[in-house]
Amino acid sequence: MESMVKPSTSETPYTLTIPAGLALDRTSYLELYYFMALNRKLEERLSNLYRQNQVVGGLYSSLGQEGCSVGSAYALQRGDFFAPMIRNLGGLLVRGVEPQQVMGQYCARAIGPTGGKDLNVHFGWVDRGIVSPISMLASLVPVFAGIALEMKMKGKPNVALTYVGDGATSTTDFHEGMNFAAVHKLPLIIIVENNGWAYSTPTSRQFNVPDFVVRAEGYGCYGEMFDGNNVMTALDVTRRARERCVNGEGPVLLEAKTFRRKGHAEHDDAGYVPAEERAYWEKRDPLDAYRRFLDMHRIVETSSEIEEIDTRINQMLDTAVDEALASPFPDPSTLMENVYGD
Amino acid sequence: MATEPATKRPRFTHVPSDKTKLEMLHYMKLVREIEDRIERKLYRQGRIVGGVYVGLGQEAISVGTAIHMEKDDVVAPSHRDMGVFLMRGITSRRIIAQYMGRRTGLTRGRDGNMHMGDMNYNVIAFVSHLGDNVPVAAGCALVFKQRNQKRVALCYNGEGATSRGDWHEGINFASVHKLPVVYFVNNNAYAYSTPIHLQMAIEDVAMRAPGYGIPGEVVDGNDILAVYDAAKRAVDFARSGGGPSLVEFKTFRMTGHSAHDDAGYVPPELFEEWKRKDPIPRFEKQLIEEGVLTEKRRDEMQMECVKIVDDAVDWAETQPYPAAEEVTRDVYYEGQES
Repeated sequence: MESMVKPSTSETPYTLTIPAGLALDRTSYLELYYFMALNRKLEERLSNLYRQNQVVGGLYSSLGQEGCSVGSAYALQRGDFFAPMIRNLGGLLVRGVEPQQVMGQYCARAIGPTGGKDLNVHFGWVDRGIVSPISMLASLVPVFAGIALEMKMKGKPNVALTYVGDGATSTTDFHEGMNFAAVHKLPLIIIVENNGWAYSTPTSRQFNVPDFVVRAEGYGCYGEMFDGNNVMTALDVTRRARERCVNGEGPVLLEAKTFRRKGHAEHDDAGYVPAEERAYWEKRDPLDAYRRFLDMHRIVETSSEIEEIDTRINQMLDTAVDEALASPFPDPSTLMENVYGD
Repeated sequence: MATEPATKRPRFTHVPSDKTKLEMLHYMKLVREIEDRIERKLYRQGRIVGGVYVGLGQEAISVGTAIHMEKDDVVAPSHRDMGVFLMRGITSRRIIAQYMGRRTGLTRGRDGNMHMGDMNYNVIAFVSHLGDNVPVAAGCALVFKQRNQKRVALCYNGEGATSRGDWHEGINFASVHKLPVVYFVNNNAYAYSTPIHLQMAIEDVAMRAPGYGIPGEVVDGNDILAVYDAAKRAVDFARSGGGPSLVEFKTFRMTGHSAHDDAGYVPPELFEEWKRKDPIPRFEKQLIEEGVLTEKRRDEMQMECVKIVDDAVDWAETQPYPAAEEVTRDVYYEGQES
């Protein structure tokens, strides 16, 4: 399999194409834009709050990876399970999490989903099929294999989807979870978001293969590589992976080629990333490219339509910031709540 | 499958000399005799301390691989690789003493059975948590690379251990850093009672090698000449700076997981099928056909092994148990005792 995204010196503009067989209505096209733009703008607000010392703890950005998390989460159906990693805020938004809740969570306020007890995207809503990410990367793979096992045993037409970075693939849990899911043919989708760097480790020092997806064969499961900066491709491959899973064909390992445009977290300037690599990927911005696509394919009728969505998002975020910051820090009397399942 | 006639046997790149062939046959027979004595006799007589794990039917693997080791190479065997210990020069006496919990065993009576090693012979003690020796061997190989030494690390595991995270992490690390290590997988069809199809969704463990960017090979583990050939290739590859490789030996565990396991979960016809592929009679037949061995010499070799083991058992039984006052020793490294 040839690597589809290699840094090159050519100046051909990055243009998105519609994957063959992907039929979307206008509302869906616009929703994809809405969630990507919301993801981007929400993180920009968080970055401001971080600089104003309102954010407690770290801030993790998905800049440049919005297409992958929005597109893949958009493929899910009712009853499916989803667990984000630190760069999948977009997926959380698709699954119904609201901006003021995310801000409240980052700022450790009572309005946040963990009531101010945990931070950033470390929260879940099991009744909505959202499982909290685990800091130990790839630990979610066996957890999601377990969820998928339950789906299989109960005959549910659902899938479990979670993400790992390129770095997490080198861990124990990734291997054990993938192997187990393959042996038991579980409806599990793992998206490896290969964003070039695991903190400061480049993929060349992470694994000795050009495309990680070749490992799918070693587990005996289906694998596919895709352009992680094309939201429509992310939606299409995940949708097809979902069909395979629901049909009982076993787990699917997807590799998204993308790039982490910021540091590991807000405190990391990523000075170790070569400038030309960063410049290459800046030209492949998933949001800009999608906006050009909508325009070029006349999915938006007037250019102001996009601007209207942007304005709506900005207004919503203004309110969300106010609402989050108006929320109190957790009350000491709640200390013992939510320690065990209630 | 009956043994094919010598003329139809595939030609291997690396073929041992007649002398080496006989040496390998000796070690295969010695492994079998020691393990037979321990498992079928001493254990049942209550003369062994703890469990017994044997490599019955898998003797060709440890012998045909370890034969390629040079003095300074390091080896991390699994519990079915008795041949490695013997070929590294560890005596039958010390091995039996180990199984009897005696002071002169490899762990000085502190641990039992195959949980032994001796760094005087560059044999790393087996770690019970299967697959744990994979990153350990990678670490040894990292030292060799950093010091620019032409040394190689050999590491053995069963197919069950390949499902473990340590196996994955170790092989990935070795591959990224192109370390001089060879990973052998003794695929003996059962991981305790778990058959292969419940262990992995692939036909061959070697199919995982391309995913790590390393060469992988599937070899008949019951054909010592095939083992010799493939192992030589892998060891040379590592020694010449090519990095790690994965060699999968197809074999069968002709006993239970251990002496206390009757393996009632294994269909009897599988035992019958693999009995016909027994690596020792197969090799003997071939050597007789080649004129390298006679039936008389074969029987003499058998008697030599019996004598070695008789002597080892007699000696081990005169050896003391560890003294109570030594109990705090060997917890931390205190230098090597030769």
